[in-house]
Amino acid sequence: MESTKDYFDIWRKSQELLFGNLTEMTQKFQQGLQGLGGNVEGMPGFGGFQDMYTSWAKSVMNALQGTDTADMNFVKETLSKTLTCSNAYQKLYEIWLPFFKAIQEKSTSPNSYKDLIDPAKFKEMMDRVFGFDPTAVPQIVEEATKLLETLAGYSQGFVKPWLDASGKSFKEFPNMMAGHPESVMKIFHTLFRAFDSTVGRAFHVPAVGKDREKIELLLRSLDDLSVYLAKRTEYEHLMYVTGLGAFKKVIATFADKVSKGEEFKRFDEFFDLWIDVSEKAYYALFQTQDFSKMQGELLETSAHLRQHNFKLMELYLYDFPIALRSEMDDLYKTVYDLKKKVKSLEKQIGEVHA
Amino acid sequence: MKSTAENFDVHNFIKEIGEINTKLIKGTGTLAGIDEIDVGTAPKELVYEEDKLKLYHYKQEGKITCKVPVLIVYALVNRQYILDLQPDRSIVRNLLQHGMDLYIIDWGYPTKSDMYLTLDDYITGYLDHCVDFIRKRAGKDKINLMGICQGGTFSGIYSALYPEKVKNLVAMVAPFDFSTNDGLLFSWSKNLNVDSLVDTYRIIPGDFMNSGFLMLMPFALNIKKYVDMLDVIEDREKLLNFLRMEKWIFDSPGQPGECLRQFVKDCYQGNKLIKGELRVGDRLVDLKNITMPLLNIYASADHLVPPAATRPLNDAVGTTDKTLYEFKGGHIGLFVGSKSQKELAPALATWLHKRDGEDQTKTSAKPESTRTKKTGRTTSDRRRSLKDTGRNKTK
Repeated sequence: MESTKDYFDIWRKSQELLFGNLTEMTQKFQQGLQGLGGNVEGMPGFGGFQDMYTSWAKSVMNALQGTDTADMNFVKETLSKTLTCSNAYQKLYEIWLPFFKAIQEKSTSPNSYKDLIDPAKFKEMMDRVFGFDPTAVPQIVEEATKLLETLAGYSQGFVKPWLDASGKSFKEFPNMMAGHPESVMKIFHTLFRAFDSTVGRAFHVPAVGKDREKIELLLRSLDDLSVYLAKRTEYEHLMYVTGLGAFKKVIATFADKVSKGEEFKRFDEFFDLWIDVSEKAYYALFQTQDFSKMQGELLETSAHLRQHNFKLMELYLYDFPIALRSEMDDLYKTVYDLKKKVKSLEKQIGEVHA
Repeated sequence: MKSTAENFDVHNFIKEIGEINTKLIKGTGTLAGIDEIDVGTAPKELVYEEDKLKLYHYKQEGKITCKVPVLIVYALVNRQYILDLQPDRSIVRNLLQHGMDLYIIDWGYPTKSDMYLTLDDYITGYLDHCVDFIRKRAGKDKINLMGICQGGTFSGIYSALYPEKVKNLVAMVAPFDFSTNDGLLFSWSKNLNVDSLVDTYRIIPGDFMNSGFLMLMPFALNIKKYVDMLDVIEDREKLLNFLRMEKWIFDSPGQPGECLRQFVKDCYQGNKLIKGELRVGDRLVDLKNITMPLLNIYASADHLVPPAATRPLNDAVGTTDKTLYEFKGGHIGLFVGSKSQKELAPALATWLHKRDGEDQTKTSAKPESTRTKKTGRTTSDRRRSLKDTGRNKTK
């Protein structure tokens, strides 16, 4: 080694290579997972479940790879705006059309629901009902990638969890192929744990130097983002699975009626049945303590993410001639206290005069 | 048996799509003809203001037959004009016609400057100031309080703290026992980290609250409602009523953080109110101090504030003159349903009229539980009926 500079250059390049390889490997793995899901014969419904994994993976990978702007749009309300227009009804036709076709082809049966649902359309429908925003992917600054490259010097410890996770995930594939949605979540959790114990560790590395506070906040925000997206993935998965369960029940009910010779003249009859069954299915889900806990956790993770981002914003905006959030909070507190004092004094004066 | 294909009429299905599109096009014309969605149209005047709060006095065009004024206290969530949503379905107009002298609080839309407002500020501050203002204006020592939903809880707390200022207490679909998990909001709030939420938002956005309410019936409220709208879209009046309700649903003020923090922690999570452990400011709230006549109205199919949360108030108060009134319907139906206009409002007016005279309140010197032991009767045995209304709806 000729100089200290050379040493650090080589060290930096090796880290870049490592990170690049890791990213490439993860992407390939991810693509492989998507491909497997989409091309299984007789299982056209898989793409819908894959979307959730893809959504999370894309979000996190985007965060790592970085973009040009610190767009905070991804921090959307967790349970924000829901569909408020009647075109959802029109959308339903698209979902139901294969089902109608099946009726005409005399191939309706309670067991054939998977073949009748276009998962992409179903997901779109569910996104609208619950206000999920699939386009709300994170946009994190490019510096984050550089920071992580610098911090990610764990060669052995970095790769092993991913290899283990890959092995576990491949073992789970047969179940996934058999159409068990929960296996998708098992794979997701396995991969998330691998992520959390490798890249995730970098989020908690103490920073040093002049911008220490800023860097640490940035890292914590990335960690918050990852945890929030993982929790949201779980939450959305539960919603989709419940919706599909309800759909299956609707078709079973309908198939049963059809087999008994009942007539269905209007689309409204399907619609009402679907609404009724779905509402009951979700109500049953919402009543459980597990759902209540999950929802509470989701809100908490989203709140943490917001809080860290607000702090980051304050750090970046500190030099500008504008009042910051925390400064305004102080001001509001002072105004609140003063108002209280004034009202109390006015009351005392009033009592004296009375 | 018919074949499967025969059971489904594809021609009818296509026709149905056509009908829907026709309705939408015609409905667009109806929508374009509606300039304003008018709500809360009963004549009223602004009589008192404090910060963002406004106190209104309704104009009585007839004769006031119930001498003691009634102050309507609505929740901080959503807006008070649900009581006067449309002219032909208005609890306010109905009560005015029955000779009531009505006041109503408009809490306003909190901004970040209100984020430090506490439960104490709302109850012993704003609410007390309104009560004092009306007492002075009407020349009465006591007034009637009619609290609705969370406003009912506030009114109950207020009545326990200032029994000397309240002649009669009416609690409408107001939660007091939060231990139940019957309503989803009650179940969900128990796992809510309200500290994190308040520290993040300061003022919890109304939109956030709405998302939670919509989740209570996601399919009915997000899809079916709008599909059903197509059935009335060509009828201007019906469409206007739909839009009025729609306006009210999404007209949601933010929630002041500190107040919400205490309400969720102490009530939804700690259930301190019914247990007598709630502190408002430096004062302990003892519901036994509610010694004035009480009319507790609950809705049997209320999915927001279930009966299990409202009914226990009658067992917690100190008065012997307490009435439990069951409204057969839901939370919103209680305000705008036709049954509410025909039955509830007249019953309410009659109940207040009967208690409008000199103070005849039978206060309990001893706690309710003691008296119950002595008589051997349960509180429910002593629930009064509303025979005088011509309808025996009381449980």
